[in-house]
Amino acid sequence: MILVVAEQREGKLNRASWEAIAAAQHAGGPVKIAVLGSAVDAVASELAAAEAAEVIVVDAPALEQYTSDGHVMTLAALIAEEQPSQVFLPHTYQTRDFAPALAARLQRALITDVTALKAPRGAMVFVRPVFQGKMSAEVTAEGPSPHFVTCQIGAFRADAAKRGSAPASVRKAAIDVDASKIRQKPEAPFKEAKQAVDLSQAERIVAVGRGIKAQEHLEVAEQLAQALGAEIAASRPICDAGWLPMDRQIGSSGQTVAPKLYLALGISGAIQHLVGMKGARTIVAINKDPEAPIFEIADYGIEGDLFEVVPALIAELKK
Amino acid sequence: MKIAVCIKQVVTREWQLRVNDSKTWIRDQDASFELNEPDAYALEEALRLKEKHSGEVVVCSAGPARASSVLREALARGADRAIHVEADALASADAFAVADALAAALRDEKFDLVLTGLQSDDQGFGQVGVVLAEKLGMPHATIIMEVKAEEGGLRVKRELEGGWFQWMTLPLPALLTIQSGINQLRYATLKGIMAAKKKEIRKVTPSAAASPAQKMLAIHFPEKGKKTQMLPGSPAEAAKALVQKLREDARVIQ
Amino acid sequence: MNGPPADRETLEVDVLIVGGGPAGMSAALRLAQLQKEKGGEQLSIAVLEKSREPGAHMLSGAVLDPSALKDLIPDFKEKGAPLASEVHHDHIYFLTKNSKFPFPITPPPLRNHGNYIISVNRFVKWMAGLVEAEGIDLFSGFPASELLYDGARVVGVRTRDQGIDKHGAKKSTFEPGVDIRANVTILCDGVRGNLTKALVRRLALDEGRLPQIYALGIKELWEVPKDRIAAGTVIHTMGYPLRMEEFGGCFLYAMPDGLVSVGLVSGLDYRDPMFDPHIAFQHAKQHPLMESMLRGGQMVRYGAKALPEGGWHTIPRVYADGVLIAGDAGGFLNSMRLKGLHLAMRTGMLAAETAFDATRANDTSSAQLRKYEDRINNSDVRRELYSVRNVHQSFSYGLLPGLMYSGLSLVTGGWWVRDPMPVKAGYEHMAKLADYYGDNRPDVDVAVRPAKIDRKLTFDKLTNVHFSGTRHAEDQPSHLIVHDTDICRTRCREEYGNPCTRFCPANVYEMVDAGDGTKKLQINASNCVHCKTCDIMDPYQVIDWVPPEGGGGPQYEGM
Repeated sequence: MILVVAEQREGKLNRASWEAIAAAQHAGGPVKIAVLGSAVDAVASELAAAEAAEVIVVDAPALEQYTSDGHVMTLAALIAEEQPSQVFLPHTYQTRDFAPALAARLQRALITDVTALKAPRGAMVFVRPVFQGKMSAEVTAEGPSPHFVTCQIGAFRADAAKRGSAPASVRKAAIDVDASKIRQKPEAPFKEAKQAVDLSQAERIVAVGRGIKAQEHLEVAEQLAQALGAEIAASRPICDAGWLPMDRQIGSSGQTVAPKLYLALGISGAIQHLVGMKGARTIVAINKDPEAPIFEIADYGIEGDLFEVVPALIAELKK
Repeated sequence: MKIAVCIKQVVTREWQLRVNDSKTWIRDQDASFELNEPDAYALEEALRLKEKHSGEVVVCSAGPARASSVLREALARGADRAIHVEADALASADAFAVADALAAALRDEKFDLVLTGLQSDDQGFGQVGVVLAEKLGMPHATIIMEVKAEEGGLRVKRELEGGWFQWMTLPLPALLTIQSGINQLRYATLKGIMAAKKKEIRKVTPSAAASPAQKMLAIHFPEKGKKTQMLPGSPAEAAKALVQKLREDARVIQ
Repeated sequence: MNGPPADRETLEVDVLIVGGGPAGMSAALRLAQLQKEKGGEQLSIAVLEKSREPGAHMLSGAVLDPSALKDLIPDFKEKGAPLASEVHHDHIYFLTKNSKFPFPITPPPLRNHGNYIISVNRFVKWMAGLVEAEGIDLFSGFPASELLYDGARVVGVRTRDQGIDKHGAKKSTFEPGVDIRANVTILCDGVRGNLTKALVRRLALDEGRLPQIYALGIKELWEVPKDRIAAGTVIHTMGYPLRMEEFGGCFLYAMPDGLVSVGLVSGLDYRDPMFDPHIAFQHAKQHPLMESMLRGGQMVRYGAKALPEGGWHTIPRVYADGVLIAGDAGGFLNSMRLKGLHLAMRTGMLAAETAFDATRANDTSSAQLRKYEDRINNSDVRRELYSVRNVHQSFSYGLLPGLMYSGLSLVTGGWWVRDPMPVKAGYEHMAKLADYYGDNRPDVDVAVRPAKIDRKLTFDKLTNVHFSGTRHAEDQPSHLIVHDTDICRTRCREEYGNPCTRFCPANVYEMVDAGDGTKKLQINASNCVHCKTCDIMDPYQVIDWVPPEGGGGPQYEGM
C-alpha cells in the first residue's frame, strides 16, 4: 500500500496533492491518502473522490497550524500503524520542511523532487534532476520500507489521478498529538509582495526577445500574458536595453524557470537563454526565422511575424 | 552565539558537465569547484548574526580533500575556524551519509545555532539540513528569509509558497536553512585571506561509512527527444491550432 | 586618483608580482628558491591575480618548451607537472580551400621534439599549488587597477574597488581597493596588460622600439573519439582560411583521451576591415583536414586571447624605478616557434633574481634593476628572439614574402636588408572600406564571407562565449570603456563599418537599432573573455580595457 500525504492550508487542498496521488496510482497497488489538520472534513471529502482504499484524517487542534514537529510525530505514528510500502508526497515547501526529518526519525530512505518513475511494478527506479536540472539521475531507494518519495510539482498530472466510482471511505485516525512536544511556534501566515519577482514559481510565462524590436511593442506581449494568465519575462537583450527590469531576465545570468507553459516571442534561442528555460513542460516558439535554435527545443512552433500571430492568438484566446 | 555553518563544495556552474565512465557520476577530475551558492547566504547570515550578537562562527564541510578550499574561503570571509570531515566518498554521497558525517563532527561542540543553505547545486536533495537537525535533536525551520535572536530563542520568517510568509519562534539550539538571496554577500578581502591562513581547519575522519539510503544507478543528460510540431497556415489558422493544442493536448491553459 | 579615502587599507610587501600566469608564478617560485639558497631575512612576497582561481584566465595552444621548467623545477615530473603528452609527430601543411600540401620538411623552429603539449590552465594551477606551498600570499580574484607612483618611481599597485553598481554608485557591500606597496613590483599582467600599458606610456618605455604587433588566438577544446588522433600529434597549417594578405595559421594538438586543442591565430594587422577572425576559424574547422579530425566529437571549451608577436624589436624597456616587466606583458614570445610559455617563465625567473638582489642591496632604482636587461641579454631569451627578430614584420608584407623571409632568416640568422624593418602598429594597417572595397561597399552588418553555422562543428560567437564559462557580476560599470561612442555611430560606421563587432571574438560589441533608423553601440561587457583585442585593434584607439570586478572573466578549465 502506498500512503499519499496530502497537503492543505486553512482547509484548502493544495492541488499538488492530486499530482502525488496520480504518481502513487501510477506506481501501482492500493493507495491510501492521509490529510492532517484541524477541521479538514471538506478537504477529506474532496480527496475521497480519488480511487483510493481510504482517506485517513488526523484531526487535532495541535495540527491547526502546520509545524514540522507536529507533522513528523503524527506521521511517524500513522506510518507505524498503517505499514505502507511507500509514502508519496508533493515536493512543496511544506514537504521539504518536514519530510527529511520524518525519514531520518524512521531511518528510511527519502527520494526528493522525483520527475518520473521507471519500471513502476518492479524494483522502482526514480528519476530526479541533479545539477540544477542540467542532468537527470536514476536512483533506487535502499534499506527497509517504507520509502519516502516527493513528486516534483508539475511532473505528474493532477488530472490523470483516477477517480473512484464511489467516494472512498473517510476514517479518522485516533492519534494523540502532544502539543507540548511541538517546538516551533508559528504565527499566522501573511501575504507580502516579494521584492524580487520570482519567476521560478510562475505556471505560465510569456517571454520576449529581440524580435519585439521596440519597447512600445511590449504591450502586445503583455496583452497576451494577461490573456494566458502568464508572467512576462525576457531574454537578455531586452533587459540590457532596460525595456524590462533585470529580475524578468531568463537565462544563465538571470533566472532559471520550469513553468507549465513557456511562450517565446521573437527569441532566437541563444544557449544562454535556453539553459534557463528548457525545463519548461510545454514550449511554444513564435519566430520569423525558421532556423532559430528555439525551434529545436519547442513543442509547438509558429514561423511567422509575431506582430501578426500574437494579436490572432489573443483574439483566439478571448473567443 | 555559537554558530555552525555547513557548506559544500560543488563544481562551478560554468563547468561543462561530463559523465564518468560508469555513468554514475560526473567526471570531475578536471572540473573547477566553488562554494555552493546557497551556502554562501547561510555563511553571510551567520557572520551578520555574529556581528550583532557576538560569538563564534564555525564552518563545517563534509567532502574530499579539495573541499578545504571552500573552508579557506569561508575563513577569509570572516568565519573563525573550520571543521573538515574528509573522505573521498563524501563527494557524491547521499543526504543521510553527509548529515551523519556532519552530525558526528558538530555534536560535541554544543552549537546554539546551525545554518545551512537551502540545497546544493549538484545533488539538490534539499535534505541535509533537516536530517542534520533531526540527528542533532534540534528543532528546525526551513527557507528562512529573516532571523531575529530573541530571549531564549529565535524568531524567524519562513517563506511559504505563493507569496505567503510566516513568522515563527523556536528555542535554541536550532537549525535553519537559509533562503538564497536574503542578504548581500560580502567580498573577500586581502586582509581576510591573510588572516585565514592562521585560522584552524580541524580535520575529522568519518567513523564508519553510513549505509546509503539511495543508490545512484545512472546519470545522464535529459533526452532531447522532443519533436517540434510546426503549426502552418495564416496567423489566424496557426493561432487557432495552437490554442487548441494548448487546451486539449498539453492542457496548460483552460 | 591616488587620493585615498580614510578607510583604504595598505599592505606592505618586499616584492609584489602582478599577474599569476607562467611568468608571475615562475617569479614567485624563483624568489622562494633564492630565499632558501641565500638565507637572510624572510622576504614578503605577494602575487595578485584577477581570475577567481589560479589558471582560470590562462589560454594558450599550448606546446611547452620545457627548458625553463627544467631549470626552475628540476624534479617537475616527481612533483606531478601536468604535461599532457610529449610531442611525437609534427606536421605542417599549406591549405587551400579543399586540399592540403604537406611541407616537405618541418622547419627547425617548428620541430617540437622534446616539447610537451599541455593545458596551460592546469599547468598554472599546478604552479599555484607550489607557490602556495612556499607560503607566498597568492591573492586570486584581485585585479590591480592602477600603479602607485612616488614621482616616477613605482611603489606598488592599488587593487580594484569592489561593490560599485553599474551607475558608478557604491553598493552596501562596497569594499575599497587596497594599496599594496612594494619595494619591487614585477608586472606579469600578460598580453596588453592594463598596468604595463599605462607604465609604458607614462615613462615612454617604448621609445626607440617598434610598435608591438599582436595576433588573436581563438581556440576550442574538443573531445573526439579516443583512437582518432595519436596523443602527441602536432599539426600547424598556413594558408586557407586566411588569405595571402593575412598573417597566421591554424594549430591542432592532440592530447590523451581524445582531447584535442584546435585554434586559429590571426595577425591583428590585417587590411580588410570586414575580416572576422571568428568566422575564419569556423571556415578552418570546415576544411577537410580539420573536419576529419573533429567530426562526431564535441566542443567542450572555447576561448580567445591576444598574443604579442612583434618580437625582439618591439620589447619595451622592461625596467624602471621599482618595477620590472616579464612574460607576455613585455612581449617575450617567439612567433617563429609559436611559443612564449618558456620565455614567460624564464623572464619571470630573471626578474625574480634581479628583484631579489635589488631588495637585498636595498636599491631598487632603475640603475640597479637594469641588471634584468643584462640578464636577458646574456640568456637564451635574447639568443632565441634576436635570431627571428624580423619574422612577423616580414609577414606584414604578405604571406609569400613572409614565408620567404622566415626561410631565409634561418640561414642568415635573422639579418634582413632593413634591420629593424619599419612597421606601423597593427591597427594602422586596417584599410578604410572605401579604400579596400572601392565602389563595392559591403553591407557592414552582414558578414562578407559568412560561415555556415551548424552548432556541431561550427558555432556562432554567442554559443562559443557560453563555452568560455565567462561570468561577470552583472551590476557593475562596463569594464570596456569607449571614450567616444559618437565615433562608433558616425565616423567608424562610415569609414570602417564598426570592425569591433567582428574582431571581438566574444560578441561584446554590437551595433543595435537606436530607434531612429540609425545604429548605436551596445557593449555586452559580461561576454568579455579578456582577450584584449578591442584595446589593441580599434582603429581610433578609443577603447580601454580595464579589469572588471574581481573574479570576473572566463573559466578556462583544460585550456
